[in-house]
Amino acid sequence: MLEIDRLSRAFGGLKAVNEVSFTLQRGEILGLIGPNGAGKTTLFNCVAGAIKPSSGSIRLEGAEIGGLKSHRVCRMGLGRTYQIVRPFNNLTVFDNVIVGALNRSRRMQEARLLAMDALQVTGLIPMKDMLAVNLTLPGRKRLEIARALATGPKLLLLDEVMAGLNPTEIEAAIELIRDIRKSGITVLIVEHLMRVITSVSDRIVVLHHGQKLAEGDPATVMNDPAVIEAYLGEDFLA
Amino acid sequence: MNTTKMRFIDRALGLPGAVALLCLAAVFPIFVSDSYALHFLWKILFWAVVASAWNIAGGYAGQFSLGHAAFFGIGAYASTILFVRFGVSPWWGMLVGGVLAALASVVLARLTLRLKGPFFALATIAFAEVLRIVVVNARDLTGGSQGISIPFKPALETLIFSGRTPYVYTMLILLAAVILLTFLIQRSWFGFSLLALREDEDAAETLGVDTVAMKIVATGISAFLTAIAGVLYAQYILLIEPVTVMGLDFSIQVAVISIIGGMASPVGPLLGALLMVPLSEYLRAEFGGSFQGLYLIIYGALLMVMVIFMPQGLVSAIRQPRSTWARICSISGYQRKRIRRADHA
Repeated sequence: MLEIDRLSRAFGGLKAVNEVSFTLQRGEILGLIGPNGAGKTTLFNCVAGAIKPSSGSIRLEGAEIGGLKSHRVCRMGLGRTYQIVRPFNNLTVFDNVIVGALNRSRRMQEARLLAMDALQVTGLIPMKDMLAVNLTLPGRKRLEIARALATGPKLLLLDEVMAGLNPTEIEAAIELIRDIRKSGITVLIVEHLMRVITSVSDRIVVLHHGQKLAEGDPATVMNDPAVIEAYLGEDFLA
Repeated sequence: MNTTKMRFIDRALGLPGAVALLCLAAVFPIFVSDSYALHFLWKILFWAVVASAWNIAGGYAGQFSLGHAAFFGIGAYASTILFVRFGVSPWWGMLVGGVLAALASVVLARLTLRLKGPFFALATIAFAEVLRIVVVNARDLTGGSQGISIPFKPALETLIFSGRTPYVYTMLILLAAVILLTFLIQRSWFGFSLLALREDEDAAETLGVDTVAMKIVATGISAFLTAIAGVLYAQYILLIEPVTVMGLDFSIQVAVISIIGGMASPVGPLLGALLMVPLSEYLRAEFGGSFQGLYLIIYGALLMVMVIFMPQGLVSAIRQPRSTWARICSISGYQRKRIRRADHA
């Protein structure tokens, strides 16, 4: 589905992402974690087309997407959300989602239907005529996901969608992510909250200092001494 | 305010409102033959056209240009030079001027692609000013700062008429076309893409909107229409000079009318012109001799008041009278209690 091969991105002398390789299987939820400054967001931005990789390749279903502009990447079936939500404030929730749906069909009638589907999945139908600026934070996070879903992605990149949510809201968001996967969309999720990432992901990739530190199922990765050291320091090694 | 009622007003303000206003303008010359009144109507229609054209780029796509005088001037000069020097009909002049202006806008869009907000606005001012200086200096072609006067040869082919009524109708047709086009854009995928672009370029790009292409197309359409208005202006006034057709004053006036009327609304610029043209006419007639420049002070003050109290323009005051009123009250600190109730309602 998604193959990342020896991907690097340097900012000046700093190698934010250094020779990282991993793959995503269709229908999988892959968690991407790492301490602050590990390069998660940079990697994420490279995949989503927001920044160009310095070297290496990113293939979505066999087609190279590294270095393509965001709208091209989106057209090829990759949706993303932003860590800091970016709703179109002065548009209604519905219109926000329609913009996403227009990625699939330029016929307004059809786009409206597709947008309604995405609103349905994310539970935003009651809010659909509100201006996005008036939504609560969980509402905005849902809107981010709804817009991305409306673009009709095969792969969805979620950048810290749970940050700032309370436990009940997090529970609901986890449910939503599982539903999304059930509908056949592959998910790559970046998250700080360990509990979330271990409960929702099939596999986890750990980044540290721009390099891949570990990869595997949640239980194995979380017990990996190298991962514990990276997160907590060597004193905590039992 | 409840949503259904708002929807209704929205619709009434939309196409029917625009059609009603245009029909009113269309019957006006039947009952009024006073030359000054017709000139006045022409002026309102003219400013409504250029402000509506600006609105496509400035209001919908958020490309806040203060350089639209460049496109206007390109239209006026291209057709006038073709007409006066080579005897080419201004009908062709419209096409040539429009295409040249659109090309210029593509160049401008390419140059300013990465600029946002005030930096973009400043760059567009610079662009128009440079072009104006070029026109002033290319004396052989453009007549320098004296400009070019157009010989009075009334005919449909020359777009010059002996009475004012035909001028009013040509401008009215153009206005109707521009407003209709704005409606079509607003309802299409293109309009949605422009709004997304205006709201957040990166987010729009992420959702599959080709923001670069959208910017170029929006400013291209806007420039094309502005240039056509330039041609009609030249054939009516029969004199074009760099200061009036390519000056910063023109660019600012266009933007101000659009902002005051309501950006990203098909009828907004028309409402803006309905308010601003009579106002500036009155101020100039009343104080033009004794207090030159007073109209600029009043313009500035009015703009500030509008931005504070009705940031969405006149259109919003008609669309949501209660929330606009609440806003005015709350900002001026008046009748606190009643506002709260209005908010909860």
